[in-house]
Formats: sequence, C-alpha cells, structure tokens
Amino acid sequence: MSEYRVLGVIDRAYRGAVEVQFFDALYGILDFRAQLGAVALALRGAAVTLAVDEDIYQPVVEFGPVRMDTLPDYRTSVRQLITEGVPVMVDEPDLRALGFGPDDVVPGVEVLDTNELAARWPEYDGVWFV
Amino acid sequence: MAGTITQRRWDLLLVVTAAPHSNDVITSALRLAQSVLDQGRTVRLWACGYANMLTQTTHGDTKLINTRDPEGVYPSSSRVVRDMLAANPGTFAWIACTACSAERGATSHINEVRFRSPMRFVSTIEGADKTVFIGGA
Repeated sequence: MSEYRVLGVIDRAYRGAVEVQFFDALYGILDFRAQLGAVALALRGAAVTLAVDEDIYQPVVEFGPVRMDTLPDYRTSVRQLITEGVPVMVDEPDLRALGFGPDDVVPGVEVLDTNELAARWPEYDGVWFV
Repeated sequence: MAGTITQRRWDLLLVVTAAPHSNDVITSALRLAQSVLDQGRTVRLWACGYANMLTQTTHGDTKLINTRDPEGVYPSSSRVVRDMLAANPGTFAWIACTACSAERGATSHINEVRFRSPMRFVSTIEGADKTVFIGGA
C-alpha cells in the first residue's frame, strides 16, 4: 500500500442516479482507499447535503413494473466512511446556506469553517477535486 | 391516395440531450416519461448527444462488479431502457440520433432502439402533440 495521503474534495453532488447506482463519487473514495496511505473527504457546495442525516430515503425508483432498488445512497456511504475511519468534513457556511447546521449531519462528520478546511490541505500529499 | 403515409402521432416527445453521469436529469426524464405513460398516454424519447451512451449493447445487462458488494446485481441503463420499452409495447419508443451516436463512436444500440437521422428531427417534433426539450449536453 502506498503512503500517499489524499484529501478528496467534492463540490458537485448528484451526478446521476439510474445510470450510476453504486458507482458514485463516494464509492470512488471508498474504493481507492485501499490503495492509499490515508484518505479524507471534504464536502462543499451542494455536496454538503450528502452528509445531512436522515432516515426516510429509500434508494428505490419504479418505472411501472420495472423496479430498481439500487440507486445511490449517499448517507449510507458517508456512514460507511465514518465507520471505516475516513475523516469526513463539511464546509460550514455552505451547510448553513442550505438551511442546515452542525446538528443535522451524520454523527462523526466534522463541520468546519471554509478557512479551516483549506488550512488542512498541507496535511495531504494530494488534494483531489473529485 | 395510394402510397400516402400517415405519420403516427405521439402525445409527448422528450428530447434528451443531457449526459448520463452529469446530474439526475436522466432519472428525471425517465420518471417524467413513466408518469405520462401512467396516464395512458404515449411517449417517445429522442436521445441526443451523450444520452446515446445509455442504450449501448456494450453495457450488457448489468453494470460492472461493485467491489464492495460483489454478489450484488445492478441493472445497466441499457437493461432499464429495454425493460421499460418491453413494459409499454406500442406506447413508449426510444430513438437514437444517428449523428450524435456516430460522433461519439456509440452506434451499438440495443435492438429495441430505433435509429433516426437528425434530418428528421423537426418532423419528429411535428409528430408529437407536445415536445419537452431537456438540454444540457
């Protein structure tokens, strides 16, 4: 395993559903993790909502008799990242702009000011705008 | 008059130029199509630009293996479109733009998709009572 440490920054969320399913941006973080020394995730812009907790979403869509239950499930992916020890950080002003606060995010997610987030970049060998 | 062709009319034409994997627009277009089909109306979808990637035979029936769920089954977009067409015989149709398909090297559509030249784009619009143009290529 490489010692390379990466901070993944996601600004743009919801890049497809029916055609994407598990293959979303967070899967990229989860799947690359084994190759890297360390990986962390920073969510900004509308992507902060990926970490907003809820328990009503079902990854299901029905087109008449054609039922799919494999749509992207970002909250579950964020919970998996936290469980696996991947730091997940959220931009506080972007979260607030969308009407949410620190109490609304998945437990374990860090809510940080924009400048604090940027100040962490030097801790990583690479900052990837995913 | 002998030889006269009466063009079939459709209730709705969805022109989809938005790309898959860009945002949730493809899902929204399919949901819109289904909701109109649920009302007993007919829908035709014209795939333009990268929307032609959705129905390539090279997808197969399932997506690539999910390394975190290797036993899971994830239907490909080709499969979803084929199943939707099969579920709505004669009331739902999918057109692939020949020029956009060729431009992207994406000419291997599933059999259920009909090729149509962009030279017939306006006549296709005229064959529908309503057209919704969903852009974003």
